[in-house]
Amino acid sequence: MILINYIAAFALIALGFYCMAVKKNLIKICIGMGIADYGANLLIVSVGFHDGGTAPIFTIGELTRASFFVDPVPQALTLTSIVIGACTTAMTLSLIIRLKEKYGTLNSDEIRRLRG
Amino acid sequence: MDFLMLAVQILVFPGLLFMTAMGVLLTGLGGKLVARLQNRVGPPVLQPWYDILKCFGKEMIVPEHAGRAVYIGAPVLGFAVLCTAGFFIPMGGRAVFSGTADVIVVLYLLTFCSVMAMAGAASTGSPFAGVGVSREMVAMISYELPFVLILLAVGKLAGSDTGGVTFSLQSIAEWQRIHGPVLFHWSMIPAAIAMLFVISCEAGLHPFDVAEAETEICEGLLAEYSGLPLAFYRLTHCVRLFIMTALFAALFLGGLAAGNDGLAVLLLVAVCIVLTFLCMALPHGICARLRVEQLFRFYWTVVTGLALVSLVLVWFGL
Amino acid sequence: MMEMIYGQIGGAVAHFPIFAVISLFLGAFLTALVGKRRALLRRGIVFVSSLVSLVLVILMIPPVMSEGWIITYWMGGWEPVGQWAIGIGLEADALSLFFALIVTAAVFTAALYSFPYMAQDSQPENYYTLYLMLAGSLLGLVLSGDLFNIFVMIEIMTMTAVALTAFRVDYDGALEGAIKYMIVGSIGSSAVLVGIAILYSQLHTLNLAQLALRLPEANSPATAAAFAFLFVGFGSKAFLFPFHPLAADAHAVAPASISMIISGVITKCGVYGIIRLCYVLWQNMSLPAVSTAVTLIGAVSCFICVTMAFNQHNFKRLLAFHSISQIGYVIAAVGLGSFFGLEAGLFHAMNHTIFKGLLFLAAGAVQHAAGTLDLDRLGGLARKMPRTFLLFLIGAAAISGLPPFNGFASKWMIYQSVFEKAEESGNPVFILVLVLCLLSSVLTLASFVKVTQSVFFGPCRPEYAELRDVSAAMRVPMWILATLCVITGLFPGAVRNILLAPAAAAAGNPAAYIDAVFGVGTAAGAHIPEAAKASETLIGCWEPLSWLWLLLTVTCAVCFVMVLGGRPFGRTVQADDAEERRQASEKLFAGLPDPKYESFFSGEKAEFSHVGGSDLFWGFKYSLRRYFSYMRRWHSGNVNDYTRYGIAALAFMLAFAVLCL
Repeated sequence: MILINYIAAFALIALGFYCMAVKKNLIKICIGMGIADYGANLLIVSVGFHDGGTAPIFTIGELTRASFFVDPVPQALTLTSIVIGACTTAMTLSLIIRLKEKYGTLNSDEIRRLRG
Repeated sequence: MDFLMLAVQILVFPGLLFMTAMGVLLTGLGGKLVARLQNRVGPPVLQPWYDILKCFGKEMIVPEHAGRAVYIGAPVLGFAVLCTAGFFIPMGGRAVFSGTADVIVVLYLLTFCSVMAMAGAASTGSPFAGVGVSREMVAMISYELPFVLILLAVGKLAGSDTGGVTFSLQSIAEWQRIHGPVLFHWSMIPAAIAMLFVISCEAGLHPFDVAEAETEICEGLLAEYSGLPLAFYRLTHCVRLFIMTALFAALFLGGLAAGNDGLAVLLLVAVCIVLTFLCMALPHGICARLRVEQLFRFYWTVVTGLALVSLVLVWFGL
Repeated sequence: MMEMIYGQIGGAVAHFPIFAVISLFLGAFLTALVGKRRALLRRGIVFVSSLVSLVLVILMIPPVMSEGWIITYWMGGWEPVGQWAIGIGLEADALSLFFALIVTAAVFTAALYSFPYMAQDSQPENYYTLYLMLAGSLLGLVLSGDLFNIFVMIEIMTMTAVALTAFRVDYDGALEGAIKYMIVGSIGSSAVLVGIAILYSQLHTLNLAQLALRLPEANSPATAAAFAFLFVGFGSKAFLFPFHPLAADAHAVAPASISMIISGVITKCGVYGIIRLCYVLWQNMSLPAVSTAVTLIGAVSCFICVTMAFNQHNFKRLLAFHSISQIGYVIAAVGLGSFFGLEAGLFHAMNHTIFKGLLFLAAGAVQHAAGTLDLDRLGGLARKMPRTFLLFLIGAAAISGLPPFNGFASKWMIYQSVFEKAEESGNPVFILVLVLCLLSSVLTLASFVKVTQSVFFGPCRPEYAELRDVSAAMRVPMWILATLCVITGLFPGAVRNILLAPAAAAAGNPAAYIDAVFGVGTAAGAHIPEAAKASETLIGCWEPLSWLWLLLTVTCAVCFVMVLGGRPFGRTVQADDAEERRQASEKLFAGLPDPKYESFFSGEKAEFSHVGGSDLFWGFKYSLRRYFSYMRRWHSGNVNDYTRYGIAALAFMLAFAVLCL
């Protein structure tokens, strides 16, 4: 069950990297960055998962001897990492907007004044 | 007492006086030999000395665009650095200073000396000097690679007793005292030949003197120099020839006449003269100056190849 | 070994790490509050906050470096229970502190430089806010005791560095450099995140000390993969091969003060990460496979970048390639796995921050004064900017490894350590590394000869006739760095005793790092070996101070001979002569032939002729034209290509780690 998560996570990361390496459109590259990031997030959340665990919220009344939590730490990590991912995307997009104004193109083949 | 001894060593033997005298002598002798090869009478052996003396007495004109401090300081400092390098090379049995990695010290100081020459030349602002700087640098890159490989080959051979590589000229000499000169090991002969070429280029001798080509770039580095700094450049040139030949002797023919210092010095002088003939007179007599890219290609293919052959042979214990 | 209880150090010192970090972040917040006006107040805040963090870090040196304490700080008092450390912790051992010192010192100097340098730019409040955030994240990264915090700090660092790279939006290429840095850098960040996830899945902790405690036992392909991910992540932040094109793009277009931070500090944080990873967490640097691989990566970065620098005709881009080349040296030395190699690497890392900072600031001064960084268009500035020229010369001598500057001392240590490793292990790879290092050294020298010749020497272009040297305010930070260059170059022994030896010992002693968090004896219980205190003697002729004496003596002797032997310091050109010459040259420029000089010029007009940067090493470049044109094609400037190199490096490291660890 959880194996699917792992496979999906690494597939997403690979897909994101593929997107970044192959797609010429900067927006698509940005999407690729996002996908790779989601893959990593999925991986972290899956790492903390226990089969049958409940949400890690301490409400004393509902807690029985048989119930147990999923690991709360990865969830906190994922939250942080999602926020960072959103910032990265925003930052990249804002750069892309300025680039489009300046270079008049989004094609990565044409944005290569710095080289050699 | 020790201090006095050191002072004598630094100033007289094997220090400044001896190195200068030997350098001038070798250069003069080289000139004479070239002339004999070409069926000329040639200048007197002391001609370089007369030239230098003359330069000392001449007026020094600092070019209009030059930075004065660098212009005067660089040749003097270059000469001092070169002499410092000489202190690490065993002459007649032992060096003034020795350490565990003095080969690298010598390598570094020789580089530093070239840098000083370049800095002085560049400070004059002359385009001829600019081209000279560029060529000197390319020449330096050219011979540095084979030079390092030669040093490694010798170091590996001399360190074979301890199973490692040695970078100490002292222990190289020690090894040769026991096992006989490095040159007599057949696997080192390519490295020795490569070293001859390195000497030629390092000392700026004729077919490889691209940086100071008189006919093309008005002596490049020296184009704007006159008087006292020029004298120092000429002196540096002479001493460099001696130091390189002495380094060859230390690396490949060390440990001869061990124990007898006088004989060792005489042998050193003899070796230096033979090397001067091989590196200076012979190629000068028979070969025209190379172009800079020919020089580079020659050193990174033929000379490096020779050094590499030795290194590989030594590495496999042959 | 040290017999004290780590982490129990009382008093105010225990709070210094957090205050040092907070001071910078608080400064960023306050700068943003101050807003557009009130330049003086803003500068005051920046100055005070960077100074406070610097002072706090310096104050931590005596207890941590000299007495061997390790300061741990738990946010909100969430101390570890049993052997579980869940809270967010800061842990300052000598290694962290060493890098913290580099960070804060560089941040402080670059801030001083920014005040005059950025004075004409718009939106200074954004600049300083981002700048202090960058500084805070860097300091947080090296002081953090927690892998996830390191990731967060890396992300803040990347984000602010990208924003600052693009800060001068109108500068040609600024946006392009920034977006490449962002996109390719995100591979590194993702790699770190994935590495963290894998580690967590195996060990259920991210505290560095706890990881160090449990990793050596939990050796599996999964942890090996995590190692590969983290290594590539930190390597990309250090811009190691093949991430180096990024550095060139980003450094060259950023403002000079930021270039100094990116090249001097951000790369060092990558180096810190690699050291922490290999020495403390996995403790695998003693494995021949890891050691050889890391050293080779370093040597290859070193060599490729130094040859790439030959192709450059932008001053700062050239410097950028040299930074990665120098980082290559550092990594090569660190990868040796010997105590002495680590010391050498740390020393070179520190020196690189100093001299490369100096060079970048000098480049910034040239740009400030002349308005361009194109090596083919500059020339003859030595007479226009003599003070900057002197400072540049000190930096160039230091990076080329000329005595008596610091580059000489640290390169020397690197050679010695590589050579000893080669001798000890008999592995020909290390001989190759040694040859590459020596060759790179010559090429570095050549490259700086090129810069010196094409920027500062030669005839001055007419358009720079009115050029003025930069203001004293800009020179002060450069003088600070230049002084440091000389001091650390002259007294490497002292630097070694005070900073390097404790830092290297801390890196080689994960047991102390663990004990500081979990109490004495924890590490011994888990069979983490205590470090063998290797104290290496330096090669005798290595002491630069004795060198200086020797050189001075010889120079004095030579001068003495000179005074005796000839007319000393002959006259140059006397006043009337000069006047005459001036008139003659005026005539010459006016096209009027002066009969006196006709024989020299054949009556031709004097023309501006300068051997510029690109033409300087023709012979070398022509002979290696295949290599150079291949390299030029390889550094295509296309972000997809750079991404591919990064992914290839990741794949390679993964395969390597899973197979060899």
